[in-house]
Formats: sequence, C-alpha cells, structure tokens
Amino acid sequence: MKKNLLIPFLGLLASLVLFSCVKDTDFGQAENITLTPVVELDLIYFNAEAGEFFDSITNTSILTLRDTTEIRFLDDSGIQESLIRAEFLFNFTNSISRTFEVEFQFLNDMNEETYQTITTVDAGTELAPVLTQFIDNVEGAEITQLTMSNRVVISVTIPSSDASLQGVLNLQSKTTYYLEIKERS
Amino acid sequence: MKIISVFFIAFGLSVAMAQNKQILYGLEEVPQSLMLNPGVRVPQKAHFGIPFLSQIHINGGATGVSTFDIFGNSNEDINTRIRNKIFEMDANDFFTATQQLEVLNFGWRNEKEIYFSGGIYQELDFVAYFPRDLAILAWEGNRDYLDYKFDLGEVSATADLMTVYHFGANKQISKKWTVGARAKIYSSILSAKSTNNKGSFVTSLSDEDGPNIYEHRVENADVKVQTSGITSLENSSVGKVLGRAFFGGNVGLGVDLGATYKINDSWTASASVLDVGVIFHSKDVEQYHATGSYTLNGIELIFPPLSEGESTLPYYDDLEDEIEREVPIDTITSGYSQLRPVKVNAGITYSFGRFLGGEKCDCLNQGLEREQAVGLQYYSIIRPKGPQMAATLFYERRLWKFIQAKATYTVDPYSFYNVGLGAAMDLGKFNFYVAADNILHYGNIAKAKSVSLQLGFNIKIDQEL
Repeated sequence: MKKNLLIPFLGLLASLVLFSCVKDTDFGQAENITLTPVVELDLIYFNAEAGEFFDSITNTSILTLRDTTEIRFLDDSGIQESLIRAEFLFNFTNSISRTFEVEFQFLNDMNEETYQTITTVDAGTELAPVLTQFIDNVEGAEITQLTMSNRVVISVTIPSSDASLQGVLNLQSKTTYYLEIKERS
Repeated sequence: MKIISVFFIAFGLSVAMAQNKQILYGLEEVPQSLMLNPGVRVPQKAHFGIPFLSQIHINGGATGVSTFDIFGNSNEDINTRIRNKIFEMDANDFFTATQQLEVLNFGWRNEKEIYFSGGIYQELDFVAYFPRDLAILAWEGNRDYLDYKFDLGEVSATADLMTVYHFGANKQISKKWTVGARAKIYSSILSAKSTNNKGSFVTSLSDEDGPNIYEHRVENADVKVQTSGITSLENSSVGKVLGRAFFGGNVGLGVDLGATYKINDSWTASASVLDVGVIFHSKDVEQYHATGSYTLNGIELIFPPLSEGESTLPYYDDLEDEIEREVPIDTITSGYSQLRPVKVNAGITYSFGRFLGGEKCDCLNQGLEREQAVGLQYYSIIRPKGPQMAATLFYERRLWKFIQAKATYTVDPYSFYNVGLGAAMDLGKFNFYVAADNILHYGNIAKAKSVSLQLGFNIKIDQEL
C-alpha cells in the first residue's frame, strides 16, 4: 500500500515542480498601459473695478491693466510628455458699460511668447451684468507650444474710460487637462 | 542530484507572491515547525540546518486580482481590464510579499529533556492595501467625480527588512503537554510605514459667492509616513547598511509562545502566538506628517499698479507658501516604536490508522504516532486594517518510513480554492522538506492570487541515536 502510494506521490510533486509555469500571458501588454485622467483645475480669477481704468490723480485713462502669474507646472517635463489637450474656460461677468479685449499671453523662461489667445468681453450694466463665456481648446502642435511656457500675462484693455465709469469686470476660469500617461520610448 | 535540481526548479518558479505556513505548521518531522509553534512536539534529539539553505520561504499574494486578470491573453484591451479591476476591488484588498531566509538554525535536547533551539533569519515583509480612491483619481482624474470625497485614509502600507536572532526552549512537561517559548531580537535594516491615515480630497463647483468655478478641498488631512534606515541610504555604503543586520541599526524584542496538548491517542490540540514584539526605531529615523485643511480656488490677480520694469506679485510662490502653511508637512526625526505583526496559529488533529512501529508501544513515553491524521488549522496575522485570517483543512500521512506528506485545503482572503502539498523526507540524517500552496494553479501560476513556498535542508539526529 505504502509503496503503491509513494511513486504517484513523488510523481505528483515532481510534476508540480517541473510543469508549473506562467502561461497564456503577455507581459508585453504592459507597454500599452495608458492612464488617461481628465483633471479639472481652477486657473485664475479677478475682479477689476471700473475705477482701476482711470487714474483720478492725474485724470488720465488707464486703458490696459496687465498682470502676470507663474503656472510653474505647465512646462514640467511630465506635463510636456503627457498633456495632449487643454481646454480653458473663461467666464466673464461684466457690469461695466464697455467692451473689453482680454489677451492671455503664455511666456517661457526667456520671456518669449509660446502661445497666445484673445477674446472680447461684451459690455454690461450694473443692473444687468452680462456673462461672456470663452472656451479655448488647445491641442496638437499648439499644446507643445503651450507646455513650453510657465507663466501667463493677462492684459485687459478697455477702449475708453472716464471717472464716472462704474461696475466690475469679474473673471472666473478653469482648465481641463486631458492627460495620456504611458511609457514612451 | 535530484534534490538539487528540484531545489533549483522550485526556487525558480516562485514568481507571484502572506505569511501563513499552513503546511509546515504541526509537521513535526521538519525542525522549522518549531518556528511556527515553539511548543510543538520535537521528535529528534538534535538538528542543524544547512546554513542559508535550512529555510527558504517565499510567500506573496493579492486579493482581488491575479497576474492573469491583467496580463492574460485576451481580446479585451489591457486598460479596460485594469479599469474594471480598479472598480471591482475595494480598499480592503491588499498585496503582500514575504521572504525569509534562514542563515542558521540549530537545536539540541539536553539531559533534562529540554529542547533548545536558536538561529538567525532574515525577513522581508511587505503589505499594501489597495488605495482604491487614489487609483480612481490617477486613472480617471476628477472631472467625473465632482463632490466625490477621495479618501486619503485608504493609503495603508508597511515594509520591513530585518534580521531576527532567536533562541527558545521546548519541553514536554507531562504526558499530555508540550510547551515552548522563544525570545527574539529584531535588528531592523530598513523600515517604512504609513498607516491610520485620514482625510479627503474633493472637487466641487463653487456656490454663487465663490471666487472661482471650483473649490478643490483637502479636508482634515492627517497623513503620516514613518521611515527608519532609509534617509541615510544615499550616503551609506553597502557595508554600513548590512551592518544594521548585526545590531548596527534599530533593535527590538519579541517573544513566541506555543503549546501542544495531547487529548488522547487520537486527538491533539495546539496553538501558538508569534512575534509579540516591538521594534524601537531611534537611529536614522525620518517621519513625515501632513495635517490640515485647505481650499484651493486658483490664483487671484489684483493688477497692482507697477512702474516700468517692476515685477508683479509672486502669486504662485504665495500660493505654494499658503498651502505649506495650511497643510504643513512636518519632518520629525524623533524615534518611534513599531509593533510586529502578531501571528496566531491553532490546530486540532485527529490521528488514525496503524501505529507507527507496528505495535502499540509507547516506548519513548512521547505518545503514540499513527500513520494518518486529519485536522483543522486556524491562522491570523494582525495587519494595519485588522486581522487577516485563514482556515485550513488538512490530511497528513506517512509514506514509506521516510516521507511525511501533508495536503491542505485553505480558505483565506485570496481564494476558496487553495490546495497545498508538502513533504518532509528523512534520508538518513539528512532532512529535506518542500511545501507549496495553490498547487491547482501550478499549471499556470499567473492565475493564482497567492503563492507560498518553503523549502529547506537540515541535518537531524534522531532520538533513537
């Protein structure tokens, strides 16, 4: 009885050891693993009062307000590699009775422009502020340009202004980042 | 030669990878069963493990996913399979890997019938719970998850590399009772731990009065990472790191306890508790602790009046400073203590069949050994999110005089289909054992959610000699 069991037992153990394997698998598929997160992130916001477009001391118009902020992650090598599309959404709410031209100029370290976009904001009134929505979709060659920048200059230009001008120009904005993260050769 | 080839092949096949050694537990023919229950009955008079070869243990597993689930040949895109698995798994699913290598193991019975045993082994132990929410955030982003609170508390992992020095004593104190205890000194080489984290991250649309379109909120974050032996790695020589294996780093103390109770000739009960201990990390310690809440709305521009050449406000730096102020990451170098993962084993065995030796003679006053046995075993290990448990049904039998074989069926967090097989062979004074579980999957290990393998060589000197 014992002898009869020994051989099958050793045979089973040996076959388990000898024939165990990893099969029907293809680890080469790892190269195809691609993460495609879509990230929503606030960008900039401001409230530009009508009075900021007129210097009451010198009694002169200030037709363009300009400010700059770094967006340091934009030219990060990981972003440069993985960002395939960026969609900017700018929501302007204007209660100033003037139209505005708003320019977004993206600059690199050398202060060279790599990407630029411009929009016009409709005039509103204090009683009835007007909403202007501007969507700028950036992809393809433009995304390469955009991700070479790490700061943005915002210029808000009013055609004319005077001391009596009332109201506020409000901007809220966000970016939707479409990423494609994978192993790149 | 056969044994050597079996060893190499068996070692080579161990790929995928908990610490349950259900096959070795109670397998008295293997001296290393003392490591699982210091109170196991010890038949031999002395043993000496072949240095570095007396126990090679590899154990690894993942609940909820196998290699095949992801990398199996399929018409379905691998990214679809990964995505489906991310959503199928939950935050209590985990990945573990344990590796042990005995450097030395020896034991002898003194004149007072106390079996002393001691040795050194190296252990690598890793467990990480699946941080499902963060995996979703990484895989999908936050666009489709507005108002969803991504749980930062799901981050829970520990990793330890250490050397363990141990010495124990075992004695049959009565006809029915065998008891044992083992003292352990842990010499930690590397350790990292992040458990009991709290907090959430959520993106919501702002209300009407909100300054921007979204609110990105980190709420009540309390995330800690404790490390020891890691920060100095960059500047350390290999020799210095290895020196920590010999009490050069952080040390700890622990104890194993166990007992076996022979109810009658047929029934035996046993239990052990292992690694009741603590490691005191005081050297080369670095702890990182992030706490706080913060709401991000983007960057507010204020269009300051500037002179020619004057630069504007450092909005981005200010934002980074504000985040660092609200959710500070403190680096702490004070020491901390770490409890070892306590393991509990218990078993009940019913022996039957012919008496070994052919006749009913309790010549050694050690109880009578039967040819076959069946039984039940229980195993648990304390992990960061609570105990992980396993139940095993086993059948053990002696084949010829020199082979003790054991087959197990285990239900554990990995699967309900874990069949294991092990054998201990005594060829003269030479003792060899091999044990592997999940053998149903050995045809294709990729389909196994866990694999465990132990094997080793000892010199055993029998009681009779």
